[in-house]
Amino acid sequence: MNYRSFLKSEWLTLVRRKQDTINALLFFVMVILLFPLGVDPSKAFLEPASGGIVWCAVALSILMAVESMYKEDFNDGSLEQWLTSGLSLPYLVFLKVFVQWLVVIVPLLLVLPLLANMLFFPIEQLMVMISTLLLGTPALFFIGAIGSALTVSLRRGAVLMLLLILPLYIPVIIFATGAIRAAQSGMSYSGQLAILAAISLTALVLSPLMAALSIKASMN
Amino acid sequence: MSVNLQINNFWIERNERQLCRDLSFSVSDGELVRIAGDNGAGKSSLIKAILGWIPIEEGLIRLNGEDITHNRDLLLFDQIYLGHTPGIKSILSVNENLRMYCPNASEVALNEALQQVNLELFDDTPAAQLSAGQKRRVALARLWLTKKRIWFLDEPFTALDAHGVAALEAKIQSQLESGGAVVITTHQPLYHLSPKTVELTP
Repeated sequence: MNYRSFLKSEWLTLVRRKQDTINALLFFVMVILLFPLGVDPSKAFLEPASGGIVWCAVALSILMAVESMYKEDFNDGSLEQWLTSGLSLPYLVFLKVFVQWLVVIVPLLLVLPLLANMLFFPIEQLMVMISTLLLGTPALFFIGAIGSALTVSLRRGAVLMLLLILPLYIPVIIFATGAIRAAQSGMSYSGQLAILAAISLTALVLSPLMAALSIKASMN
Repeated sequence: MSVNLQINNFWIERNERQLCRDLSFSVSDGELVRIAGDNGAGKSSLIKAILGWIPIEEGLIRLNGEDITHNRDLLLFDQIYLGHTPGIKSILSVNENLRMYCPNASEVALNEALQQVNLELFDDTPAAQLSAGQKRRVALARLWLTKKRIWFLDEPFTALDAHGVAALEAKIQSQLESGGAVVITTHQPLYHLSPKTVELTP
């Protein structure tokens, strides 16, 4: 096994398992649809709330996607092979999270303009929302990867994992929606974007190391 | 190709239970070591401890004279480990699974390896459709595709038919003859191989 063949097989696995990607996408669309239907379809409510709605939906569908990301590798013995391959485990984790991110986020970004329009989100500020998603979602994936690695050997680890990582999602959501709100009221939002990027970069450096440690501990 | 793996005074405990203490043995080129013991005696754990993902309480491990107790990378690069669950992805085909583990193998070598394990007709079959024995044979095909000096085979004969057992025994024999070493755990009798036995007693 080398890094390239690992990346290729991860990619193939995700592409073959289309239903997981489609589930995350459908979930995202459904959560967003619930707000105008269930709360208030008026522009006065939806326009200021749109950033928060989109980000909550994104965070929830990412949680769904990362929750069981190593489950199958654990069950079929692939994790043992990662450990004994002599390759760097943090780097393998990084590659896996990167592929997952790509496969989940690209479809979300593709349907985003339509949903944003439905929420009366001003189309000229769509780039701000897309920037917050591009800069903020890597953090959600990398943080989720730690929680998923910690609970990989537990039979019912999903709830425990949610409790572990949801608090860590809060800062990302606060700064992302903060940036969108600032943009909507005509203020500068580069500060929030910079913090989002900083959180993602920190997660990118720390999470593979911590996830690798957790996987090692789980394999005991 | 010469290799010498020395295990000195291994002490392994799991869940407050002592699996072995002061266990020492060595594996060198051309040697087959069989780890013996009852169910639950810790045969798999011993292999995992050698490979470094179960911590040892005490002990020293040397590869070709070099102390690798704290960093097993040298050993990891030079071995194949096949465990109870052989790491075969059910969504990928037989060919893709082998390509993942052995990216440098040529198409000819790959076909030859599949022939050896009697899977030449299943090249493009998703592993999900294979039986347990066939999945194990996919994993075993890796032994034909990579040159590594030490093999750690944990119960490699489970679910294999008579033909598969004979082929694997022959492959182990040729690995030993070419100067490699094999560590194996199995309860089945070995017909053509004469291993050195390491007994695990609590």
